[in-house]
Amino acid sequence: MGRLVLQGVSRRFNDFLAISDVNLEVGDGEFVCLLGPSGCGKTTLLRLVAGLETPTEGELFLDGKKIEGVNEECGFVFQEYVLFPWRTVRGNIEFGPEVKKMPKEERERISRHYIELVGLKGFENHYPHELSGGMKQRVGIARAYANNPKLLLMDEPFGALDAQTRNLMQAELLRIWEKEHISALFVTHSVDEAVYLADWVAVMSARPGTVKEIFKNNLPRPRVRTSLEANALRDAILRSLGAEIKRAAGVY
Amino acid sequence: MKNESGRRGLIINILSLFFFVLLWHALVTLARDNVFNIPFMRLRDIPTPPETWYAFTRSLFMQSHGPVITYGIADHVKASLMRVIQGGIIAFIIAIPVGIGIGYSKLIRDILNPLVEIIRNMPPMAWIPLAIFILVSGGSIFIVFIGMVFPIILNTIHGVKSTDARLIDAAKTLGASGSDIVTKVIIPSALPSIIAGLRIGLGVGWMAIVAAEMVIRSPVGLGYFIWNMGDLGRYAEMVAGMIVIGIIGYIMNISILLLQKRFIKWAG
Repeated sequence: MGRLVLQGVSRRFNDFLAISDVNLEVGDGEFVCLLGPSGCGKTTLLRLVAGLETPTEGELFLDGKKIEGVNEECGFVFQEYVLFPWRTVRGNIEFGPEVKKMPKEERERISRHYIELVGLKGFENHYPHELSGGMKQRVGIARAYANNPKLLLMDEPFGALDAQTRNLMQAELLRIWEKEHISALFVTHSVDEAVYLADWVAVMSARPGTVKEIFKNNLPRPRVRTSLEANALRDAILRSLGAEIKRAAGVY
Repeated sequence: MKNESGRRGLIINILSLFFFVLLWHALVTLARDNVFNIPFMRLRDIPTPPETWYAFTRSLFMQSHGPVITYGIADHVKASLMRVIQGGIIAFIIAIPVGIGIGYSKLIRDILNPLVEIIRNMPPMAWIPLAIFILVSGGSIFIVFIGMVFPIILNTIHGVKSTDARLIDAAKTLGASGSDIVTKVIIPSALPSIIAGLRIGLGVGWMAIVAAEMVIRSPVGLGYFIWNMGDLGRYAEMVAGMIVIGIIGYIMNISILLLQKRFIKWAG
């Protein structure tokens, strides 16, 4: 489950064409990274999948069902965590089950499970401001998972973390994802991150964003960041991306 | 370290108050001894701190002189506080939905904003004649209501409008309905701002009640008390009443700040 199909999707904001004719297919349980220069519409693409935006043209389908209105089958993980500051770790994770009117015992069972899965045992009653960046994002991931989504949408989730925490969180994300396997669409600026995480990487063009090139990544996990194969792939992606970054910056 | 500077601050606070009282005492007694004289100022008629203290203790509780009963300061405080609480509760009940409505819905904003913007610029005191004219009783409560309702409305609007749009998006993707978004995202997010509005409103309400009681001659209430004592030339009682008004306002302010700390732990 979690097959996502985008057919000729465009999004225009007044005179501003953010993304143009995006065709993309994420297979069941695939981990896909989106790479592209700043302002190429990667976030807009995620918001379209989440149903927080509607496409100007084209259609999106999740498991064959057209996405119309807010798509509650997606778990969204935000760059700046976007946790509810007045709720504890447990309260944040239980938000989804709570608005779905699940009974209390069921909610508690779910939050206990995900708190354990993301490694936050002992921090159940902490408020977000008492947590480090990495811990906050663990809550963000657990909150998305607790809603039992078919597809995980992640918008540069580790972009605000320092380099060491970032590497650790990438490994943690894969550990969690391998345990509870669902499709994932992951936006990032980091080629290294994409090569480490993804089954395949889509490089997007400068604005208006569209899918420019796709790179398969069949390296077995856990991946060695410095292996020859990883370096070769990184090099190929960087070359493809470099041209777009120059275009976005107005350098030819 | 922090405790030490806190204690130092407290000592300075107390010394400063003590110094001011001493200055007050010195100025008045020196004026009475004709040591100096400020023209156009009847400094000698001001009660000294000991006289004020004595007047305060003497008039603190209700007294009966045969058939005549005089209310004590405690009764006046109680009456004024009750009016502020009653007016405040009504203001709170009305201001919260109005503020959330204006902050959240453009339609409600377009309907109510002109009204709110005009009425909020009429000072509570300007309503006193109308309150006397229209209301058989509860005029002072109405004035408190007018004084309190707008600070709470405006702060609620501000709180609602400054709700992080991304939190609303997050709630939506987690399956929240429109009413979930209001009760589980917008209201908690606006709560610090609402409490700040309550604090400002209480300050305004407390000032409004004193003014209202002076004009609406109810036989009990701090505003009535200081006006009446002034009329009777009992200036020591009058000044004692003024100081009581200031101290109670201060206590109310501190109480709300403590309430805020207690209930908004998450603000860090």
